Amino acid sequence: MQKGIDKLTRTLEGLISLCLLVMLGLIVVLVLLRYVFNRGLVGANEFVTILFVYTTAIGAALGIGRRDHIQIRFLLDRLQPRGKSALDLFGLVLIALLNAVMLWYSTTWIAVTGGYVMPSTQLARACVQVSVPVGCGLAILYCVVRIIGEWRNQWKG
Amino acid sequence: MEGLILLASLIVLLCLGVPVAYALGLSALAYFLAIDPYLIQALPQRLFAGMDSYVLISLPFFILMGLVMNASGITRRLIEFSLIFVGWLPGGLGLVNVLASMLFGGISGSSASDTASIGSVLIPEMQRRGYPLQYASGITVASSTMGMIIPPSIPMVLYSVVAQESVGALFLGGLIPGVMVGMIQMALALVIARKQGFPREEVPLGAGHVLRETLRSLPVLLMPLCVVGSVVFGIATATESAALGVVMAVLIGVLVTRQLTVKAFAACLRTAILTSSKIMIIIAFSQVFIWVLALERTPETIAATVIDLGLGPIPLLFFISVIVLAAGTFIDVSPAILLLTPVFLPTLMEAGVSPVQFGVILVSGLAVGACTPPVGNCLNVCAIIANLGIGSIFRGAAPFLVANVLTIALAIVFPQIILWIPSLVMR
Repeated sequence: MQKGIDKLTRTLEGLISLCLLVMLGLIVVLVLLRYVFNRGLVGANEFVTILFVYTTAIGAALGIGRRDHIQIRFLLDRLQPRGKSALDLFGLVLIALLNAVMLWYSTTWIAVTGGYVMPSTQLARACVQVSVPVGCGLAILYCVVRIIGEWRNQWKG
Repeated sequence: MEGLILLASLIVLLCLGVPVAYALGLSALAYFLAIDPYLIQALPQRLFAGMDSYVLISLPFFILMGLVMNASGITRRLIEFSLIFVGWLPGGLGLVNVLASMLFGGISGSSASDTASIGSVLIPEMQRRGYPLQYASGITVASSTMGMIIPPSIPMVLYSVVAQESVGALFLGGLIPGVMVGMIQMALALVIARKQGFPREEVPLGAGHVLRETLRSLPVLLMPLCVVGSVVFGIATATESAALGVVMAVLIGVLVTRQLTVKAFAACLRTAILTSSKIMIIIAFSQVFIWVLALERTPETIAATVIDLGLGPIPLLFFISVIVLAAGTFIDVSPAILLLTPVFLPTLMEAGVSPVQFGVILVSGLAVGACTPPVGNCLNVCAIIANLGIGSIFRGAAPFLVANVLTIALAIVFPQIILWIPSLVMR
């Protein structure tokens, strides 16, 4: 299972890095088109924003797996390993719960508002709104993986 | 009562080590469950609204720009350039540390990357030349605060989004306070060096050498001017200028320093987007939190209470600055901006304080927090480089942080320190 998660993590990291490169390329092209050719690129800004929303949703989920989120570790760092692990588990369960609530309610929200069309790209809003359940789903997955890992390391045997 | 649930649950979750982003979301969830579970439906929509911002796309680009410049080996070049100007003075390497941070701050926009880059080169070098490790680490950490104040600055971009204020005006507003911090820190370093008998560096000061070093550093020094200038003069948006900054950094790395490789650039892309995501998710969840604050009419209540006290803008700013400095010791810079701005800005605007002045003071205050235990990003970075405890590094930094506090106090009493350049350039 760990191998599969590692592979997924590497793929997602590569994907969002590529998205950043595409965003960079598009914005530079837009500036060049504006000043050199006095032209624009219809929908490019909107497309960049869509990519940005996806990179944030996926990157935040990856942050859970990498234990990389900004947190106040003042109390955590003063605890014994088991106490630290217990608080970690508590936090992960809460994060998974929050993401589950968001995942559940985002489906209703997308069903109601996802049909509207974006002004420039003419894509349905759902195309970008789906980033929320995707990010939440991945966040839950990484929470579960870390909960299992933490349980095996600190509490089992 | 319901507002109390929000604040109490947030404080408890933060203390228990729940990541800031999710602590914000969970406390909002607890609030909704307490007052009206129907409101939970708005959570995904509010979260999405927090991520769906064109201006914030500048965030990963500014981070990427700093990382690419680091990978391009510009730190050594900035240090050699700084040596010409201040290296020959008593305690020259300490002064070089401050001046290089001032120049680096104008490039990276981040204090932590300033600490890492300058510290990894200068701390071992200062130690080798007989400076105490505590002094070398302390001055590195304290001078890195300029990374947040001198434009371009990532925290200022964040503030501009929350306060809906011009990024250009904020960038320009930070210029004089940032330089003031550097000048006062250099003066303090000089006084300490004379007292402790720290060495001078042997620097060739011939016109040829000075010219050669200046020309060698020119592309690096011009970069922040182009990035900030393009925003200020309306040539490009903040996002576009940050993207152009990345392109310039890549060109410098490939053509000038010739140290940037494809592999290093790929690593920079990965680090930039992962770093930006962990800030962005806080921003997204803070939108939920800010919405709840608005539902509770918290900013209005605070504004009314404070105005009833009859404080003028100066005492009010002093009072809020003390809160900012205290909050900065416990909360990281990005979440602190996102939490404190919506709470204090309406009150200050009501009292006639400019949002630009408050933005610069807020970021400057939080920069001090990045150098104070228990939660100090720059302290943590420096502790790894210097292999020294954060308490010891803080004691080394404390005399230099006086410069930051003094600058904040002066900028409160004389707002023109912040507002003069923006009013001059952005009429």
